[in-house]
Amino acid sequence: MIIEAELLSKTYRVADKQPGMAGTLRHFVRRRHRDVPAVSGVSFAIAPGEMVGFLGPNGAGKTTTLKMLTGLIHPTAGTVRVVGHDPKRRQAAFLHQITLVMGQKQQLIWDLPPLDSFRVNAAVYGLTPPEARRRISELADMLELGEELTRPVRKLSLGQRMKAELLAALLHRPAVLFLDEPTLGLDVNAQARVRDFLADYNRRTGATVLLTSHYMGDITALCERVLLIHQGRLFYDGRLEGLSERLAPYRLVRLELTVPQPAAAFTGHGEVESLQGNQVCLRVPAAQLTGSVAQLLERFAVVDLEVSDPPIEQIIGGLFERGRVDDSPA
Amino acid sequence: MHRYLRTLARFWSASLAAEMEYPANFVLELLAEVGNLAGSLFVLSLLYGPGQSLGGWSWNAALVVLGFYTLLEGLTSTLFQPNLSTIVTHVQNGTLDFVLLKPIDSQFWLSVRTFSPWGLPGMAMGVGLILVAALRAGAVLGPGTVAAAAVLLLASAAILYSLWFVIAATSIWFVKVWNATEVLRSTLVAGRYPVSVYPAGLRAFFTFVLPVAFLTTVPAEAVLGRASGSWMAASVVVAAACLVISRAIWRYALRFYTSASS
Amino acid sequence: MTAPREPRARAVWPLVRVLLSTQYAYMLEYRAEIALWALSGVLPLIMLGVWSGSGAGEAAGFTPAMLTRYFLAAFVVRQFTVVWVIHVFEEDNLQGRLSPYLLQPLHPFWRYLAAHVAEQVTRVPFVAALLALLFLLQPSLLWWPQRADVFWGVLATVAAFILRFLLQGVIAMACFWSERALALERLLLIPYLFLSGLVAPLETFPPGVRAFALATPFPYTVAFPARVLMGAEVNLGAGFLGLALWSGLFLILFLVLWRAGIRRYSAMGA
Repeated sequence: MIIEAELLSKTYRVADKQPGMAGTLRHFVRRRHRDVPAVSGVSFAIAPGEMVGFLGPNGAGKTTTLKMLTGLIHPTAGTVRVVGHDPKRRQAAFLHQITLVMGQKQQLIWDLPPLDSFRVNAAVYGLTPPEARRRISELADMLELGEELTRPVRKLSLGQRMKAELLAALLHRPAVLFLDEPTLGLDVNAQARVRDFLADYNRRTGATVLLTSHYMGDITALCERVLLIHQGRLFYDGRLEGLSERLAPYRLVRLELTVPQPAAAFTGHGEVESLQGNQVCLRVPAAQLTGSVAQLLERFAVVDLEVSDPPIEQIIGGLFERGRVDDSPA
Repeated sequence: MHRYLRTLARFWSASLAAEMEYPANFVLELLAEVGNLAGSLFVLSLLYGPGQSLGGWSWNAALVVLGFYTLLEGLTSTLFQPNLSTIVTHVQNGTLDFVLLKPIDSQFWLSVRTFSPWGLPGMAMGVGLILVAALRAGAVLGPGTVAAAAVLLLASAAILYSLWFVIAATSIWFVKVWNATEVLRSTLVAGRYPVSVYPAGLRAFFTFVLPVAFLTTVPAEAVLGRASGSWMAASVVVAAACLVISRAIWRYALRFYTSASS
Repeated sequence: MTAPREPRARAVWPLVRVLLSTQYAYMLEYRAEIALWALSGVLPLIMLGVWSGSGAGEAAGFTPAMLTRYFLAAFVVRQFTVVWVIHVFEEDNLQGRLSPYLLQPLHPFWRYLAAHVAEQVTRVPFVAALLALLFLLQPSLLWWPQRADVFWGVLATVAAFILRFLLQGVIAMACFWSERALALERLLLIPYLFLSGLVAPLETFPPGVRAFALATPFPYTVAFPARVLMGAEVNLGAGFLGLALWSGLFLILFLVLWRAGIRRYSAMGA
């Protein structure tokens, strides 16, 4: 097993603190806090080469767990081993084998072309220049990055920037990839390209990938296995099919109509999620999707139609509302 | 070691390239440095009436002190201040994580990551002023003097670096530390003049609490060939202590960061 | 024309009160930071140390007691004439907060002015504490200024603050055209530092430099109010006239540049 977590827990001491510097100072002198569990007793093991999706609503403890696995946060209790090391010691041998990519945070130098950032990273990881060049061109091919590498980062699109971030993070050929929301904010095409790359990279190098995402699409495209975490506890660990069928057996159909329609007009086509003027969003069972869409197009004057997965937030939210998860195997 | 040097070269060439994106800065910074030096010289000239001395220092000797001040201020804008603001940005944006996951010492990374060439003219002016003023003051720049001055300059740079880095490290708790740097900057201005100018109480403060005396006065004494062994030894000891303390505070800050951050 | 004016006049006072009280509450939240800012204004005290170790003050007719009073007064004046409007304006401009402000029927600079006034009120106890500490350490520094000097001195300090606010406001208008307005401010700080009287009394300047300094607005921002506060002989009329003329000039410049800037801002659709 390349990643092992046993009864991993993290409790934050959250300060009851007034905002601002004054409050900070007061807090500094006399501390008052509550203990808030962020992760409680999470155990799992991941084999080399696996791609595992990490699911859960905001604040469920995904990022905390990810950071404990990388050694950025020290666990309150429990043990972690990643590639045979205790992450929190942050030994060089461990750091050479892992990487962390955060979708909303960037490590590339803003004013410079990505190539300059790659060179910095190559030096930090002790790669020789020819080796670095070889790896850069190899990864650039896989990521379909070309002249973007010589353009300042600030002039790149979000998608190009993310691909360059991935290249920078993978230059040292890590054995384990921790990806926190790697497709956040990307458009559909860019998301797909990042997914394809990750799948390709996993196939070619046998690297282990652990990723969190808000987009069900990322998880379904990449991960056979998912870990579902909620309120700091592990609720589901198993194959994706089992989860996605149980949790998200429906799709969202967004319509733009030429003439606004009342909510009643859609009975029989699906549950009305939202209705605003001529914009309507329907929740349609996955099994009836094709039929429903055909009927909708037939019955209404449709300007635009879009089918999407419900956001994972919504799936899981709905799930807990219905209290269906309590009896799931953990 | 070799890897650290190569990394340093990469860091600095990348920062240089990034700074070159804003060439207008060069003119502005140069103007500011020249203006500041001219102003300092003007004020110093006011403090010297005809034939008078300041705290037992001749005009040319006091210029050596001002030279060291200019040199250190150049060093601050070249290295200490840009890196401090990078650290603060890392803490604010949460990108400190990337640095901590690199197989390289985090204090090394955060202390030398950026390099701003705009302080270099200031450093050059400082060196020029030291040399001209020392020669005019009749100093003999033999190898012994130069070696002693170099060691003391390193010590004063180490002290100054530690002061800045400690403030940067506290950004892990306070995030906004600009005010603290302003306090530091405004008090360090005292280093423009030989420490013997100040009344006894201030002199003690600038020696024992905020070691301004070791920043400019002690190295200037060395260049002028009149440094005492005990002051030189004290300077090296203070520098070493400052470095050790800055290291300890950084480790403490990191422990706090890894156990309390989210 | 009195009829439409009346409701406006009635509306002004509550607005001022709300602006000032919210800004004061905001500043109170940051009082530790303000304490540090106050502490960073120690330059005149350091210069007092330097000047008292030099004979040059006496050569210019400044007794040690006068030097002490001058620099203490300069310290107080500096504390209450701190202006940072260019920093907030640039920040608001970059963060896109300017657009919503422009939609409100209140010139954004009134908001900034209120913030400055509130900050000064918050500063009072810290400055008092610093002075108390100073007198505790060095009781010989203590002196009580005349009541009239305090009155005119405070008035001159307020006027000096307005002058600095307007001057920086003019510089801040460069934000509309350039990303480097802050660098301009950095350059402006140099003559302010050396010509205002913050680091040396103007009386010690050689006559030529002094005449040059007096032809700039800078001495009105420190040296004039400080001399009034210390009870030195000053021409009050000339001083306040200088403050008024320079302030008027900068106000006109500010308004002209503001209009041009806003025109450019809306043309760019930023």
